[in-house]
Amino acid sequence: MNLNIFLFSAASVKEGGKDCLRVAIQPNMSCQGWPATAGSMALEKYIALEDSTVVRLLKQAGARIAGSTHMSELGFGLVGDTGNRTITENHADAALITDNMGEARVAAARSGIPGFKPSYGIVSRRGLIGLIPSMECWGILAREISEIRSVMAAICVMDDQDFSMTCDRLPDFDDKQCLKEPSGVIGVEEGYEKRLTTSEKAAWQTAVSAMEKTGFQIVKIRMMDTALFGSVHNVIGAVEASSSAGKYDGVRYGHRTSNAGNWNEMYLKSRGESFGTLIKSYLFQGAYFQFENYAAFENACRIRGQLLDETMQAFTHVDWMASLTIRENHYACKVSNIADMYESFSFTAPASVTGLPALQLPGIALYGNTDFGLQITGPPLSDPALLALGVSLGKKQKGGPAK
Amino acid sequence: MKYEAVIGLEIHVELNTPTKLFCDCPNRPGDAPNVNICPVCLWLPGALPQLSREVLEKAVIACLGLNCTVQPESAFDQKVYYYPDLPKGFQLSQHHKPLARNGYLDIFSGSQKPRRLGIHHIHLEEDVAKLLHETEGRTPISLVDFNRAGAPLIEIVTEPDMRSPEEAMEFLKVLRTQIRYTGASECSLEKGSMRVDANISIRPEGTCVLNTKVEVKNMNSIQHVGDAIAYEIKRQAGCLEKNEPVVLHTRLWDHEKQVTSPMRAKFSGPCVPDPAVARIVIDDAWLAERKAKLPEMPIQKVERFIASYGLKRDEALVMSQERELSEFFEKSVTDYHQPRKAANWIAAHLIPALKDKQKDISNVPLSPERFQALLGMQDRDEINANAAREVLLRMLTDDKNPEEIVEAKGFRQVSDSDELEIIVERIVEKNPSGIQDYKSGNMKVLGFFIGQAMKVTQGKANPKVLKELFTRKLS
Repeated sequence: MNLNIFLFSAASVKEGGKDCLRVAIQPNMSCQGWPATAGSMALEKYIALEDSTVVRLLKQAGARIAGSTHMSELGFGLVGDTGNRTITENHADAALITDNMGEARVAAARSGIPGFKPSYGIVSRRGLIGLIPSMECWGILAREISEIRSVMAAICVMDDQDFSMTCDRLPDFDDKQCLKEPSGVIGVEEGYEKRLTTSEKAAWQTAVSAMEKTGFQIVKIRMMDTALFGSVHNVIGAVEASSSAGKYDGVRYGHRTSNAGNWNEMYLKSRGESFGTLIKSYLFQGAYFQFENYAAFENACRIRGQLLDETMQAFTHVDWMASLTIRENHYACKVSNIADMYESFSFTAPASVTGLPALQLPGIALYGNTDFGLQITGPPLSDPALLALGVSLGKKQKGGPAK
Repeated sequence: MKYEAVIGLEIHVELNTPTKLFCDCPNRPGDAPNVNICPVCLWLPGALPQLSREVLEKAVIACLGLNCTVQPESAFDQKVYYYPDLPKGFQLSQHHKPLARNGYLDIFSGSQKPRRLGIHHIHLEEDVAKLLHETEGRTPISLVDFNRAGAPLIEIVTEPDMRSPEEAMEFLKVLRTQIRYTGASECSLEKGSMRVDANISIRPEGTCVLNTKVEVKNMNSIQHVGDAIAYEIKRQAGCLEKNEPVVLHTRLWDHEKQVTSPMRAKFSGPCVPDPAVARIVIDDAWLAERKAKLPEMPIQKVERFIASYGLKRDEALVMSQERELSEFFEKSVTDYHQPRKAANWIAAHLIPALKDKQKDISNVPLSPERFQALLGMQDRDEINANAAREVLLRMLTDDKNPEEIVEAKGFRQVSDSDELEIIVERIVEKNPSGIQDYKSGNMKVLGFFIGQAMKVTQGKANPKVLKELFTRKLS
């Protein structure tokens, strides 16, 4: 086991066959008997009591859970995350990373591999030690899109224990119709280029011409201030995180202070010692909105609805929407404050706010040696077609066969 | 200055469903600690709540029983606060979108004219765990029992419509009866399946202002609620007389000392919508099915009992108090010509006897048919009232017909005039002064003579026959 990559490995576990799909998970995804620390001292020594639905479905499909990687604290951002290295260093064929604001897509873009965030509510969150329940989902990184599709085919199954799975009919990832050459209209936000640096703009123009060469029509669409996506995510995400992390008190599991005179002191000190600076700032923000400025939270919820309406309106004119995946000089794995964090996920947060499927494609939005990643977002439940589109675009770029 | 009280109640009622609100753990109060638990109700990381349809159904029926409008859409929020009995850090409750709104109950507090008291809303919520404070040697320790965690509650929030402790008590009695009728809960304050918090403020009589209220907790019976409210009204009036402001806070009722004492500042945490819990959408067809399941409620039953059986309102109220007892009454008077007699026997003898034995009508061998047979025996002078009461008591424990008990115990009434006449003559002979007393107008002596005869016959003599015989003899 490579301790730099894995927190816990399944080397001794005889699951799956020799040629089975190897899937790396994070320790916030319950796998019975494995440490489920979610990258936080607040869950120190916590062992999962049962398999999450996704882990169970993967095992049923013949996959082998290769191990759980190091991860950012409670899945917020990518500081300390090693999920992408399981793919680039060939320890796994696919890696699952919690996607709260674009973590899976950004991690994939930084590694030059595909990364996918499915539609919200098509994969069970049961067993996910989550942080932002209205946005979080399991993101997938892999070397090829075909591997992402295999994982999705295994885990996109209705789970009546997760009430956020509300759609009547789940997408079919085995449907051959979705493998047809996709075409159509790709929308880009009017004025998007003005938000980009010179390098980003050059990479974006490369991507636009690649999409046009592939046969897609590119149209400009007018959106309300897209910076609102980040603000809305920040307010709602912080409030939900503050609630979600409220249970970590160091009593039944997790770090407990050795220096407390009474139970109130024990809670305060245990929590104070457990959380890192970044997550602590986020939880403070959430508590502020909960207790001191609830109107801001209500406004954020209202604006979220408007942003969703507007995005859905845009999808009546276009089939897909595109942007870059990552920003220049903003490294999600090195951020030290919340503002930096949101800046580094500014292109990916919108799909998390709206719950739409989004695919990060490597090798298309290039400038020099830098790959900024091309992110395609689809309408709700268009996941299989979105993966097919990714295969098509990739094939045109490489000139190779679709995978 | 004369003040009037403004009282609103917040009533938690634990639903008697077989399982908890968000998991399939048994909802069984009284079991050994921490046996009815799972990752969901232990609120462990990764567990997701799963709303019980059965709980929803029972809650909806309870709301209908309280004349509320069930909302087409309701949803759960996270009520954020931390306490060791809620280690999740928030309680799932319905703050923004409650299950039902705009209900009411009619009370007859000492008058024939009903007074309608409003219910603002009813929401569903999960119960918290139970803390047990003990000592280990000299060290105080606190233990947590999660059996209660996640048990289903409805919280009934009234309008501030009550003006006296009596009205609050009457409201609670009516509410308890209504909910018991629906079968959703036993509503026992003593056993903890009903918990009442009272919000009390006072204002100059005749004004409409809503002044600062004080919340009072820890009342374990309806009488305690009345006592606590009465004390609090007096205390607040005293504050105002002394120009001391009434401060918003929570107080605890101390039944022993009959006082309320400050507990803490009133806490009101934020409520954030929970995206992980199912939104409740109720359509008209489903609601119509639930309405059809609602039994005839006491208020309608009272009117029917008055109209159909000629009961007085007080009698009808007692007969409709408990659903099972009302059904017992109705079956007892099928083909029985004296429904008021049956009602009076139930009110005067059966209910006190059940209370004394701490039993319900459902768990004693007495059937309506046997009860009717007993009344019939008395009507036919086969047994007297004393014997009938004795037989009734035995039928609560012995699985026997009244005839069997009467024969076995020799309770059959002696109505034979010849037999009784001998006894009457002997008693009169032994008490010659009684004749003089009677003749000089002291009618009480007749009762004394009848009592002596009953003593001799061990209560078996027919008092009507005795009265006739003594009257004739003394005259």
